[in-house]
Parts: sequence; C-alpha cells; structure tokens
Amino acid sequence: MTDRTYSPVTNEILQELKAIVGERYVIAGDDDKLEPYSHDEVKGEQYAHMPECVVRPRKAEEIAEIMKLANREHVAVTPRGAGSGMSGGAVPIEGGIVLLMDRMNDIVELDKENMMITVEPGVVANDINEYLAEYDLFYAGYPMSLETCFIGGNVAENAGGGKAVKYGVTSRYVLGLEVVTPTGEIVELGGKLIKDVTGYNMIQLMVGSEGTLGVFTKIVLKLMPLPKSQVDLLCLFDSAEQAIECVPQIMTRSGIIPTAIEFMDRTAVRAACEYLNESIPYEQAGAMLLITVDGPSEEQVEHDYMQIGDQCMEAGASEVYVADNSTTSERVWKVRRNIGEAYNVISKRQCAEDIVVPPACIPAIVGKLGELSEKYDVMMPCFGHAGDGNLHARIVSPPEWSDEQWEPVAEKILNELYKFTAQCGGRISGEHGIGHKRKKYMSYFVSEGYLDMLRAVKRGMDPNNILNPGKIFDLQGKA
Amino acid sequence: MKASGIWILAEQKGGKIADVSFELLTRGIKLSEERGCELAAVILGKDLSDADLQELIDRGADRVICIEAEQLDHFLVEPYSNCLLELLGEERPEVLIAAATSTGRTLMPYLAIQANAGLTADCTELSIEKDTGNLLQTRPAIGGNIMATIKTPEHRPQMATVRPRSAPPATRHKGRSGPIERFKPSEGSLGSRVKRLSFLPDADEKPLGDAGVVVAVGKGIKKAENIAIVKELADALGGALGATREVVDRGWLSYPHQIGLSGQTISPKLYVGVGVSGTIQHLAGMQTSEVIVAINNDPEAQIFKIADFGVVGNLFDVVPAMVEKLKAGRGMV
Amino acid sequence: MANKIVVPIKQVPETKSVKMDEKTGTVIREGVDSIVNPLDLYAIEAALRLRDRYGGEIVGISMGPKKSVKALKEAVSMGVDSAILLSDRAFAGSDTWATSLILASAIRKIGDFGLVVCGERATDGDTGQVGPGIASFLGIPALTYVSRIQDLSDKLCRAERLIEDGREILETSLPAVLTVIKEAGEPRLPTLRGKKRAKDLDVQIWGNDELGIDPDKIGLKGSPTRVVKIYRPKVARKCTIAEAKDEASVGPAVDRMCGFLADKGVLQ
Repeated sequence: MTDRTYSPVTNEILQELKAIVGERYVIAGDDDKLEPYSHDEVKGEQYAHMPECVVRPRKAEEIAEIMKLANREHVAVTPRGAGSGMSGGAVPIEGGIVLLMDRMNDIVELDKENMMITVEPGVVANDINEYLAEYDLFYAGYPMSLETCFIGGNVAENAGGGKAVKYGVTSRYVLGLEVVTPTGEIVELGGKLIKDVTGYNMIQLMVGSEGTLGVFTKIVLKLMPLPKSQVDLLCLFDSAEQAIECVPQIMTRSGIIPTAIEFMDRTAVRAACEYLNESIPYEQAGAMLLITVDGPSEEQVEHDYMQIGDQCMEAGASEVYVADNSTTSERVWKVRRNIGEAYNVISKRQCAEDIVVPPACIPAIVGKLGELSEKYDVMMPCFGHAGDGNLHARIVSPPEWSDEQWEPVAEKILNELYKFTAQCGGRISGEHGIGHKRKKYMSYFVSEGYLDMLRAVKRGMDPNNILNPGKIFDLQGKA
Repeated sequence: MKASGIWILAEQKGGKIADVSFELLTRGIKLSEERGCELAAVILGKDLSDADLQELIDRGADRVICIEAEQLDHFLVEPYSNCLLELLGEERPEVLIAAATSTGRTLMPYLAIQANAGLTADCTELSIEKDTGNLLQTRPAIGGNIMATIKTPEHRPQMATVRPRSAPPATRHKGRSGPIERFKPSEGSLGSRVKRLSFLPDADEKPLGDAGVVVAVGKGIKKAENIAIVKELADALGGALGATREVVDRGWLSYPHQIGLSGQTISPKLYVGVGVSGTIQHLAGMQTSEVIVAINNDPEAQIFKIADFGVVGNLFDVVPAMVEKLKAGRGMV
Repeated sequence: MANKIVVPIKQVPETKSVKMDEKTGTVIREGVDSIVNPLDLYAIEAALRLRDRYGGEIVGISMGPKKSVKALKEAVSMGVDSAILLSDRAFAGSDTWATSLILASAIRKIGDFGLVVCGERATDGDTGQVGPGIASFLGIPALTYVSRIQDLSDKLCRAERLIEDGREILETSLPAVLTVIKEAGEPRLPTLRGKKRAKDLDVQIWGNDELGIDPDKIGLKGSPTRVVKIYRPKVARKCTIAEAKDEASVGPAVDRMCGFLADKGVLQ
C-alpha cells in the first residue's frame, strides 16, 4: 500500500488530541521519542514504520473521542501495548496515531466469589499473577514474554504460550470486554458469565483480532485456583522422532494432561546449552522434551510426574531429570528460554516463525526443517510448544552473510516451509498473529471465501478503515 | 579470669606482612582504647625481619609476638592452630581477631574449637560493650538482608574474623616503640598431616578480595569477547575485574572472579557494575562496597536501587567513552 | 580408600524469597521455600564424582527439624546412597561451635569414613565455620576452598585449593575434611530414578540419645556465642541517574560519572 490514503496528522489535529488526553500525553515532532513506537519485537527495518504521533489515553471516553476525530479527519490509529509482539501488529504502517495503552494499567476489581478479575489493558500480564498470589488464585495465560507484555496485547493476539496444553489459550479466559469500536462507540461485550448465548459471540471475534476491530479498555478474566505444586521434567531422547512420538502417549497412556510440553531439537538444545555453558549431557541427546506438571498438592504432582516420567522412559527416553524447586526449575527452563538469545548472539539475521500444525504432524515438520536447513546451508533450530503443535522454528543466517545474500534465501525457505505447513493442514501462526509480517502468505493457508468473510466483518465495523489498517489481510479484494 | 588485652592476627606472604594486617590494627586500636588495654599483633612465619615487624608497632601495636619456624612459612591449619593454641593458653588474651581471608576463615574455626571459644565470622563492625567489657561483633547475614550483633559472654578469648577492606589500614607513626618477641614453638606443635606440594600464582590478574576498586561485569556484556572492554575500564581505574554468577556460569570468566552468594564477598572502596542487573545473590556479595556505581541500559535494573550513581545507557557506548575520559584525565584528577 | 564419604547438608531458606518484617526487623520464615544450601550441592557433586571414579558409599547427614528430610532426599535423588537426619530439641539454638560438635559426633558414629566433603559455607548463616569445626572436633586435617580433587587413594588425598593470589596443591592424609567451592563441579540434576529411590528410602533419624553428647555442650546452652540484636542494615544510598540514551548524551553522562567519582576521591 504505497499510495497515501490517509490524511496527515496536522497541527490542528494534534491540538485536538492534546485537548482530549492532556498536552503531556501526546508525543509528536521528535523522531528520537517516536522511534521506539515504529517497531515491535520483529527484527528488520522493512517491518518498521514511524508514527506521526503517539497518544497515551487514560479512559475509554478519551479513546472514543480520538476514534471519532480520526474518522472525521481520516487518520489511521494503531493501538499498542508493550510492543512485545512478534508479527508487527502494533506497527503504524500507515503512519498516523499510535494509541499507547500504558497508562491504562489499573487492576479494577478482584471478584473472589466469582473467581474473576477485571483489569485495564495496560496491566503487565505477570503483574496479574503477582497480585493474585496472596489470594491463592491465578490467571492461566503464560506467554513467554509475560514479564513485559500487556494483557491487552495478549487478548488482541489471543496469546498462547507455555501452558496451553493444559490451560488453553487466552480466549478461554476472556469473559467480558469493554471495547471502543473503530467508529468511537463504547460497547460492553459479555460479562461475568460462564455461559452466554445472547447473539453472536462477539468476544471470540474480538479476541485475536489484532487491534483491527476495537480497542479494549476493560477485560474480565476468569481465574483458576493457584496450583500448590509444580515439577518440571527434562527428558532426553535419542532422536526428534522418538521425542515427538512420545508426546501424545504421555497424555493417552498416563491419563494426565501436563501443563506444558516443550520440544527442543538437537540444534536448539546445543546452541542454548553452549550459550549457557550448561553441563547436562546434551551432546548425546537428539532432542529434549521439557514437561511441566502442576496440581493442588505435592502428593498429586509427585504421582503425576512419576507416571509421565515412566511413560517417557518407556518411550525410549535415555534420561529423565526432575526439577522440583525453583533453582532446578530455573535451570531447566533456562535452556528453553535462551534458545532465542543464543541465536541472537550467533547471527543478527533471522526469521522467528510460529507455525502450528495438528500435533501429530510435528515429526514431519521437524524433518522438513532439517531438509531445508541442509539444502540452503542455514541453521534452523526448532523448538516450541510440542504439546499443542505450535513450533517456533528459527531460520538463522550464517553470521558471515550479508543482507543481500540472506534475504532471497530466507524468502525461498519461507515459501517452501509455508507450503509444506499448509499441506500438513497447518497454519502460519499459532500465537504470534499475522500482523503485516505474514500477511502475504495468508493465501497459502486460507481460501478467498474465508478472506472475504474477514473483509466483510472489517468493513462493517470499521467503514473508514481507521483502526490498525493494513494488518492480517488487504481490504481491497485480491490485492 | 585475668585477661591480657586485644590481639590481632597479622598475616604474611613470603615474609612480607600482608596489608590486611594493618586494617586489623585499625580495629585493634579502637578496641584497645575502648577497653583500656594493650594491643598485640601476633604473626606466624619464618625469617621475618625486625624492620617488617616494627611496622606493626609503627601502625599501632603495643607489642608484637612473632612465632617462627621453617614449617610456618606457609599457612597449614594444624601447625598454625597448635602454635596459637599454645600461646593462647599461656597468655589468655581477651580478644583475638583475624582477617576473613582464606587463611583466617580456615584457621579461626579450627582454633576456636580447640580453645573452646566463641567465634563470629566476617564481621563488619566491632566494639566493646561498656558495662561488661564484652566484644560486640556485628556481621551481615542472610545475604546481607539483616545485620546481627553477637557476643560471647562466658568464653575467652572472644574470637572474630573481620571482612577485608571494611576498615582503612592504620597509619604509620614513626617513633613508636614496643617489644618484638620472637618465639620458637615446640616441635610437637609443628607437625602437619597436610603437605603443600606446590603453588600456582595467578598470572597477571589482581585478586578480587584485596582490590580497592572492582569493576564487575554482568550478563549485559552478551559474549566473552566483549569482556575486553570492561577489562580496559578496570585497568583504567586500577582495579580488579569481577563478574556475576551468570558470566562465570557461561564460562566467560573464571570462578575466582565471581562475586555473590556462591562466589566472593567484597567491600572495595569503589564498585562499578557494568551490565549487571543486580540479582539478590549478587548484591549479597557487594552491597557493603563504599561507593557503588552502575552502567545498565535498563532503568528498572535492581542495581540502581543500591547504587550511588547510575548511567542508564548502552554499555558498549558508555564504557569506551569512560575509558577514554579516564585515560585523558589521568594525572589531572 | 576407606569406605565412606560423608556429606553434611544444610537446608536453607531460598535467598530470593527471604522477606523482612519491616516493623520488627525480623526475617519472615513463613511461606519461604527451603532448599538445599546451594554450596552443598557442589559438595554432593564432588562426592559423587569421587564415587564414580573410586567407588565407595556416600552418606548425607543434616542437622535440623524433621522437614530437613526433604533436603536429604534431594541429595539421595542426585545419587547419594543413604541419609541420616540429626534432629532433637536439644540441638536447637546451636551456634557453629555446637553444630560442629553434633555433626562431628554423628560422623564418628557413622565411622569408617575417608573424607567429609562440605560446602564452603551456607548461604543463610554465611560463616563457613562448620567445615573446619568438624575437622577440629574429629582431630583431622581440614582443606578449605578446594576447587579440584586430583587424586584419592587409601591413605592420601591430593587437592587444589583456591586462595586469594593463586592455587595451592595440597596433599593430606585420610581421614580429612574438605570444603569445596563451585569449581568442584556443576551439580547434576536429580533423575527420575533417583527420585524414586529417594521416595522409597527411609531416612534414619538420630537424636542425642543416639549421639550421647554432654547436654551442656549442645544447643543454646553449649553455644559460646549469643545473638544480642538483629536489625535491618541502613540503606542510605540515593542513586543519581545520568541518562545516556543516544550518542549525544553519552559524553555528558560519562563526564558526570567521572566528576562524581573524583568528588568521592575514588579515582587514583
């Protein structure tokens, strides 16, 4: 979308914005200050775009006024949380206004009797659980960036994360939303109800809409009793196939659903262990599973992990390590969490992928990654949430390559990888979202009829295409 | 029981008196004044010169007791403990303090058991309780989260080790005089079941514990090769290079550099944290430093909460700029 | 070598989770996770490596309340062969002198040991006195700050000791006490097999009836030292912040920092 379809943010508009939110909460005219809002966690300048101004509202009413103003003046508005997204969803690719939600960070209400919490979108995901700990409750969302990401972004992206095997993804926990629509109305959706069939399920439409259908201003989340005990198992297997085949057996044979099942292939494990100087005998392992079990008592969790551990041994695990305190738990999770960082040190040029396939197809995908890695001579560590079929493959450029060498190769690999993923019945993104980073690959995975449905919804709710334009799909037919 | 004063245990390396001994004298002078008694410095070794021993007098000792034997050249726990035990029995000092060095922290607990004496480790403050004359020994515990004051009401001597660098060295006053007594211990005291086969000195690195300035490097340095720029800063400041646990665990620096709960506890005059976030384990090892400064790009980093001065910025820009500034300013400051 | 290696193990509160009661200035013990003293893990690892190389049997011992069984079981799940808990009201309030006596008495009762391998210190008390104290009570040599055990035979142990300005190679007769530092080896993780063995293993519990120590020498009564006051350290630091976010601000920030250091008199 190169031709300019939006109006610029003029001085008059800036004055109006300042009148709405207060002068000090509008950032404009200083590139240094605007630059942090031109990108999210996606690497690469081609995915960045500068906003014309950043506005930091405090109330839903202010956002409603901003949306009305933007519709009247035809200025694009891009909502933004903590900027920890992995698909460019919060990048203002049409310039205009970035709506920064950081000031809306109150925990509005804890309703212990209903086991629900109402929060504003700018609350850091992890802070919810820190707040809840003394009440023996917890919110089950667990994105890997939980110490920085905002709950509003989690809802907008329908974040998944590490505990989805047992607890599912964000959408399962969102019961109510207060939303400012793209045209500036404030609407309440759902509420403190476990069951609700009054009309279309608009909440589920909003969750994962990547900021294109509305701006959340209040979120009602369902809570769970806080598990009293948690144990992690680090299981070493000779091969990736062996590890992956073990995954469904863990659940079907033991009858226990673990909280998390993370997969790491040989390449990923080696990089992380070398980076961390970890002494577990990783060199003999073809792959590892990191399995977490939680539950209401130590006895229960001990029973569960021993069952699951036995299953892994029977499935051919060469060793199962048990981490049942914070020191050892930190040590095993460190391996998983530092894979990304290890490769960031190895090379600046890389793609972080988020493919999701039916869980049984994971061995096929892992095989394909190995094949592509050899064919193009790049590193392709593969790790992710094996229990739910969501894999974070990284495609890492050899450190000595230039951008010119790297980009065409990356493009070819992604094309092949996505085609194969589609053949497996998979999708391009399990939890990071499409944003604008993966938009052009949408047609590999979904039909034109499906895209038309999405377009119809967007046109109906945002007739002027003001809210986060240019994300997920292009509005103009087969663009 | 009649007691005969305050003793400090001076240390020597290769016949030279170690600086930490003079810090102990500072402690000893204060205590002997508070108690109104004599201050003695005890030292074990071989062939110590009168001139060297006189320095202990010059810096405040009223008396020097030098226990000499071939076998006492290097620290070995059994002969050191036996010789001192013999002397303690004869002289019955009220207080014996040593430095919390690898020697002090080995010898003192071994000796305390034999002498049936109470011992407090790694003290940062010492004073005399007015009414009773007891030694009040204050030390950090639980990773520096609390301070505990401890005394030994009924056992003598009252023994304590003192954290190196927690007091300045006593100054030298020419013209002071006092007896220098040389003792030859009995053969029976000198036996050791431990033999010292060899010693491998650290090639060129400054020991962390003795350093007045420590520049510590944290995870923010990203990789081993980058440590060179922090080393340059340490050199420019004339200090030693320290590290967080993370950096040592990754093999970027060796263990003797590690500061914190599973490494060393230091109290330099100046601590500079570079890319150090400030985990509680690290803080436990350095928060008694006199001046703490930190360079970190995260304004929320814990280290800033206990620092005196912080630069929020990219260490790869800030550190080289600082090195340059220090080199340029050398001699001017 | 003699049959057994004894490893004393202490259960400590996890430093990360230690909280202070701001009003009373005391440590809140409730709800704080207890772990094996991190430095004892190096001792366990060192002992396991010796057993892997030379054979023998490792006995873990701990002094503390009944719940310290958990720490011993953790050691067993790493590979320690058996475990004994020293637990008795009469032991409560022991300082390092009395603790050393109790542990030494237990080790004597265990008998037939070649080495006692300890962590260099515990992360709560942070004294490092119990290792040498045990040796002193047993009347055997103590090698502290051991970074590497080079060789072990029936009668001798050769080890490297890390001190301020280098490394000493020492040789001691056996039995002896070693206190080890982190370089002795990164502790192995407990295995599923180990956990199962630990679960089934009965930890023996010895009180003073078993040890028969003079009651005047243990517990608070037998401890020469007394804690007279506990308080929170004053943190009187106020951090001056200089921002160096871009190229232009690096210079001024560094100037301010160097000015600050000069004012404090810490530049050479």
